[in-house]
Amino acid sequence: MFLQQLVNGLTTGSAYALIALGYTMIYGILGLINFAQGEIYMFGAFATVLLLATGRVPFLVAVAAGLSAAAVIGLILERVAFRPLRGAHPLVPLISAIGASIFLQSLALLLFGPNNRPFPVTFDFTPLNLWGLPINGLEAAILLAALGFMGLLILFVRYTRYGKAIVACALDRDTARLMGINVDRMVSLTFIVGSALSGAGGIMMAIYYNATYPRMGFLPGLKAFSAAVLGGVGNIPGAILGGLLLGVAESLGAAYISSSYKDAIAFIILILVLLIRPQGILRGKGH
Amino acid sequence: MAAYILHLTILGGIFIILAVSLNLIIGYAGQVSLGHAAFYGIGAYASTLTAMNLHAPYPLAVASAMVFTGLCGLALGLPTLRLKEDYLAIVTLGFGVIIDLCMRNMDITGGPDGIVGVPTPSILGVSFRAPLLYLILVVLGVSFTLLVTHLLVTSYHGRALKAIRDHEITAQVMGINSPAYKVAIFALAASLAGLAGSLFAHYIQHINFESFGLHTSILIVCMVVLGGMGSMVGSVLGAVILTVLPETLRQFQAYQDLIYGGLLVALLALRPQGILGRGKLSLKFLERKE
Repeated sequence: MFLQQLVNGLTTGSAYALIALGYTMIYGILGLINFAQGEIYMFGAFATVLLLATGRVPFLVAVAAGLSAAAVIGLILERVAFRPLRGAHPLVPLISAIGASIFLQSLALLLFGPNNRPFPVTFDFTPLNLWGLPINGLEAAILLAALGFMGLLILFVRYTRYGKAIVACALDRDTARLMGINVDRMVSLTFIVGSALSGAGGIMMAIYYNATYPRMGFLPGLKAFSAAVLGGVGNIPGAILGGLLLGVAESLGAAYISSSYKDAIAFIILILVLLIRPQGILRGKGH
Repeated sequence: MAAYILHLTILGGIFIILAVSLNLIIGYAGQVSLGHAAFYGIGAYASTLTAMNLHAPYPLAVASAMVFTGLCGLALGLPTLRLKEDYLAIVTLGFGVIIDLCMRNMDITGGPDGIVGVPTPSILGVSFRAPLLYLILVVLGVSFTLLVTHLLVTSYHGRALKAIRDHEITAQVMGINSPAYKVAIFALAASLAGLAGSLFAHYIQHINFESFGLHTSILIVCMVVLGGMGSMVGSVLGAVILTVLPETLRQFQAYQDLIYGGLLVALLALRPQGILGRGKLSLKFLERKE
């Protein structure tokens, strides 16, 4: 029971971690919270589900399309809701992003309707048996895929020119510009990468819960922000750690404390973190 | 028709209180609260429960609602207002989710059905059942809110708040205790939202969680941004426009949230100061040019 809850928690936690990475990367480079991260997650899932529902698109192509759709929405969002407001009081882009989030959510409601859509492809995993512990094959696959994406991100940031340029911009935007880095392009690239990761999280949860609907990104988006704060905003390993921890805490809390207050757990953790250790577990640049 | 206009006027008055109080947080403390409707709801339930369970007279119910929501605001503001702007936005949003879950699940709030039969206010034997009489209470509430806001904003403390909003470090160098000011203004705004909640509950007489969700919080933010962040008259105007507009555009109801969201983005990109900006309603354009 306990171990099963732990694995469930790690699975949902891996989706929180993927969205939290988007928050953290954008926060790192712009110092702003992209409130619409949860909606990007939702659009990524929808693109994949709609393509697969046609029955003519192979699974991997649909997933790639979902990631691209998420990336494009992130890119548009940066152009429309953030770039015109650079240099304004931080309150202004924050409210603008909230507006964008409501806009995207109601747009999805109008385009796709309010109903849950099941995932068009079913996966047949044989239950694994790991040292006597029965593990759902789907959960294991999702967890592995999420860890794969996280690994790719870390490799990208550490070892490629563009990744290093993003880090340089996050550390000191003006100096990075003096070194010949095109900061605007790096901001766009950050939005693309961060949004694609959120889209990946959305697709995984669409498979896991077998449901895609316009409001699916709202709570995961908020919880992922809590995860980013828990790990230390602006800190990439921190976002992964925070997401997984939050997923586990939520799953154990729902099992052992109260399931009707499950959604409150993330926010109680958020308030506690801000009270006790505002810089997060791994020190972020947020504070 | 007259009854309907009266109904809209009462609701508009309640939203004026909400928008003006949220404007204190956004326009003066330089913070965003996305959980203002949660305080509105807490006020509504607190007032109802005091009146129903303790058989308290109406003024006492209102006062208890205001004190209780003020304390909730204090409890939420203390840990978060020391930090950057963005944290308060998410924490208040999360707070809204928590309060929403509580309203849905707790026994004392009547669960998802809410509470039916909130008592009609009566003061000194006069019952305020008739909407026209109730309007008097709402007008009193609005006047109280506007008066408190005006007195605060034009006082030493108001200038201190503006200094914090415009440049926090400079304000601190001048000896202004900025976290204390932010927490105080947050608690005051919460308490005014509690007043609005109480006015709403005793008017509608049937409250449940639906009135106090995120949708309402966002609506209040839209009112403040539309009117102009930091302008009290602007918030009044924003509240009036966004109460009347949805009623006249009933056929576009499905697009309401789409319009609100787009409005926020477009407004901030094109005219971030809102309709009135930080200026006051000025009659200067009526004066003859010399």
